Amino acid sequence: MRVRAKIAGAAPSVLRRTRMIPQRWLVAAGAGTFILLLPLFFPLDGRPHADWLQFLGRFHPLLVHLPIGLIVLWPLLEIMGMKRPALREAAGFVLQLAVATCLAAIVFGLLLAYGSGEIGTTVTRHMRGAIALAFELLVALSIRDSWLADQRSRWYFILLTATVATLAWTAHQGGSLTRGSDYLTRYMPPALRNLLAPSAVSSHPDSFFTRHIFPVLDTKCVACHGTNKEQGGLRLDSYESLMAGGKDGIVIAPRNPDASLLLKKVTLPPSDPHFMPAEGRTPLTADEIAGIRAWVKAGASPEVISVAGMIFAGDREEAPPPVGDYSALMNEIRQMQQSQGAKLVPVSANPSDGLILRTTDVGASFDDRQLQKFQRFAPFIVEAELGRTSVTDASVETLIQFKNLRALHLEGTAVTGRTLGKLSSLSQLNYLNLSATKVTSDGLAPLKSMPNLRHLYVFETPAEPNSADSPLRSSQ
Amino acid sequence: MKQHPRCSDCEDRVTPMDLPVPSGLKKEWLVSESRRQFLGRSGKVLGWAALGTLLGEAGFHYRAFASGANPQARSGVNRLGLPHFAPKSKRAIYLFMSGAPPQVDLFDYKPNLTAQFDVDMPASVRGNQQLTGMTSGQARFPIAPAHWPFSRQGQTGTWISDLLPYTARMVDDLTFIKSTNTDAINHEPAIMLINTGNMNAGKPCLGAWLAYGLGSMNDNLPTFVVLQTKTNPKENNQPVSSRLWSSGFLSSEFSGVGLRSVGDPVLYLRDPEGVDRNVRRKMLDAVEEINRQTLAEVGDPETNSRIAQYEMAFRMQSSVPELIDLTKEPQSTWDLYGPEAKEPGTFAYNCLLARRMAERGVRFTQVYKRGWDVHDNVVGTLPVLCQETDRGCYALVTDLKRRGLLDDTLVIWAGEFGRTVYSQGGLSQDNYGRDHHPRCFTVWMAGGGVRPGISYGETDDYSYNVVKDPVHVRDFNATILHCLGIDHNQFTYKFQGLNQKLTSPVPAFVVEGILA
Repeated sequence: MRVRAKIAGAAPSVLRRTRMIPQRWLVAAGAGTFILLLPLFFPLDGRPHADWLQFLGRFHPLLVHLPIGLIVLWPLLEIMGMKRPALREAAGFVLQLAVATCLAAIVFGLLLAYGSGEIGTTVTRHMRGAIALAFELLVALSIRDSWLADQRSRWYFILLTATVATLAWTAHQGGSLTRGSDYLTRYMPPALRNLLAPSAVSSHPDSFFTRHIFPVLDTKCVACHGTNKEQGGLRLDSYESLMAGGKDGIVIAPRNPDASLLLKKVTLPPSDPHFMPAEGRTPLTADEIAGIRAWVKAGASPEVISVAGMIFAGDREEAPPPVGDYSALMNEIRQMQQSQGAKLVPVSANPSDGLILRTTDVGASFDDRQLQKFQRFAPFIVEAELGRTSVTDASVETLIQFKNLRALHLEGTAVTGRTLGKLSSLSQLNYLNLSATKVTSDGLAPLKSMPNLRHLYVFETPAEPNSADSPLRSSQ
Repeated sequence: MKQHPRCSDCEDRVTPMDLPVPSGLKKEWLVSESRRQFLGRSGKVLGWAALGTLLGEAGFHYRAFASGANPQARSGVNRLGLPHFAPKSKRAIYLFMSGAPPQVDLFDYKPNLTAQFDVDMPASVRGNQQLTGMTSGQARFPIAPAHWPFSRQGQTGTWISDLLPYTARMVDDLTFIKSTNTDAINHEPAIMLINTGNMNAGKPCLGAWLAYGLGSMNDNLPTFVVLQTKTNPKENNQPVSSRLWSSGFLSSEFSGVGLRSVGDPVLYLRDPEGVDRNVRRKMLDAVEEINRQTLAEVGDPETNSRIAQYEMAFRMQSSVPELIDLTKEPQSTWDLYGPEAKEPGTFAYNCLLARRMAERGVRFTQVYKRGWDVHDNVVGTLPVLCQETDRGCYALVTDLKRRGLLDDTLVIWAGEFGRTVYSQGGLSQDNYGRDHHPRCFTVWMAGGGVRPGISYGETDDYSYNVVKDPVHVRDFNATILHCLGIDHNQFTYKFQGLNQKLTSPVPAFVVEGILA
């Protein structure tokens, strides 16, 4: 068997090399020209065309997976063929089949885009990638025989690699068209995602729009109304473009959900030809529609933080990281409970929630020296209630060892703020109360670099802003 | 046949003292001679054995914290394994609007009603509901739209009555529940139900459960304080009794300590002439010694409570005068609460006290304001009630917020039920009345654990039935416990053969939709 295969594989290729090369080059050149000219006959002008074009075009997703499988199979066969010539012979056939199906997929793909009037940068990229891929395949088909004759040539393998790379890129563009551009990154671990594509910085990161409206548009609408495609001249990939509307005018009428075209379209019966999202894509859920409606009703502002009547589970703060188990120190903690001094109180029955340092019963007799005694519990203390005690600026040195500290009460103490900058090493610190101290705005300046410090209180201090009635809850 | 040694009918006079038992035990027999003592003590032994079993592993795990007369150690995290999870709020302030404020006039905006003035409410809305005796005889149920206009307030654009100009300024900080509902249509059962989870008296109230479960944060002040607002005789004041802050079957040290609205907040707190602190201390030590003897003799846990209460009262002799001394409050306080806050017994004064107690570690403060029972003359009375309470509520929330206390304090505003949309008695352009309405009413919360600036639940066009997200008062109480780190289903106390809980045996659910 093996001998026969060898003979059968070698003989015709010799024949072809002598007689059929020019013909093959001609076919390749002809097909290449056809592919290049095709977009000129069917220019993507953003308008839908005859239905039968689209009907045929809808076979593109079916066809397109054939060349993908074949193009992946082809280099495998070429490489394995170095060991087993029969596989190499098969590679030639697979390549021919890949060229044929690739050309067909391009034709049907173009019919789909032309027929349905899809435009956008991703559509264009997908088309150009496919054409480049077809060219690479045609070149590979043309030079394969000469490569078979002189196997030392590296060009064939370089071409092979380039073809697979082009395939990957083009397929990704196609995937982005159907699944949305964030299909791969949506559930990617955040660290990896930030490394690959730092997310665009929103001007209002906490706003209702950013947290609840934009994600809905991004998953359900942007595939057809974004940079990829711009159906109906409408883009929904930013607040500005949403409010600008499309060819049919504005889609959001602030304070008037019933006059907002976007809400009308998503609430039509799904069988209606104007129902959105079109083409059987996932419809918006009732909650998502309610969220948009409530937001529009409240004025469709890009800044508003919350909207009456709307609650989302994702709004909740993430649970802080657990601290270590303090059970080993239980004896000492227990003794402290029974004495008259400051107490360590468990946050909850779960030891990893940490301890609260409570000084309510000792008040002013609690000073810097006493605080130092708690150093050995430092990693387990998540909240230090030091308000109205006698601690001073010097205590900051002790406090920076409380690595898991989330809340620090220093209200009504002699703290002046000179040493507050050192607190910036407390990465978990979320709450800092400096009310009724001598803290100045200069003393607070170093705290601005603390990413987690969301609740800072400076009531009745020189640092307090002048608005007498407004509560001071500075969010950073 | 030998008779039982403890039986006094024994003819041949065998006494227990003849038995070969240690003399210590014989002494004990002598002091606990009576049958009543015997039965009582056996019962308690069984009770303690049951408690030991109930606590199980958790009991042993936390036994480290359980000890003598220190109330902190005898309740709280330690023995009961509470809080179950890290709480968002450490303390709560409950502004109780006794008498039931009319939700239609204050929060539940129904613009469609204006056009239906004096139109009969469709019978289908009421269904087969049984009304109170006060309106069941009425020939018709004419719709009385809110007399005062509503407006959108805050960044959230929340609709609120113009009667509450101060509350309107903080709507973005509040969590409204418009679908609260209750089972009872009359004041006493309804107010018992919302406070204790049961319409019948004898169950511990929310504050008592919290005092028992979470314990004190301050050794010198009570864990649970009740403040009553001076009544306005022109209002329809429903009685408010100490049943509402009772500890029920829990130890009496967990019941609310009421501070009086007039005169000394705590009677006889000052030492009499000629008695100084040392004399008082000696006297208390002697009383405690006697009490301890009684405890050893009788073994009644209530004696323990008594000892703890004497000690608390002694400490309160110095802590309460400091608490109510408002002379050190800065001018900004009076600017915020208004001049009324200087007068003891007003709602604003109680709000200020509530803030001061929150600062000093009081776990639960309940402020009662009576007079909301507006059966007639809504137009005359409601503005007065709003004027009395509006600024205090706003000042309290704002003050807590600017001082950094609102992050871990839960403020609750609620009455026992709502009021009808139809008029009780005559309806005119100038006046109307409103009857009790248990099917829906509006409450609000603010602070740690709840999501600010939202409105939860919806009522129908007549503010009569809940159409979306109903919140029963049991669910409401379960949610309050949740904010304080307690799973209401696990927080039980065995009594009368039942694992009793605040939310009663009927299933209740935490309102997830309002949690932060």
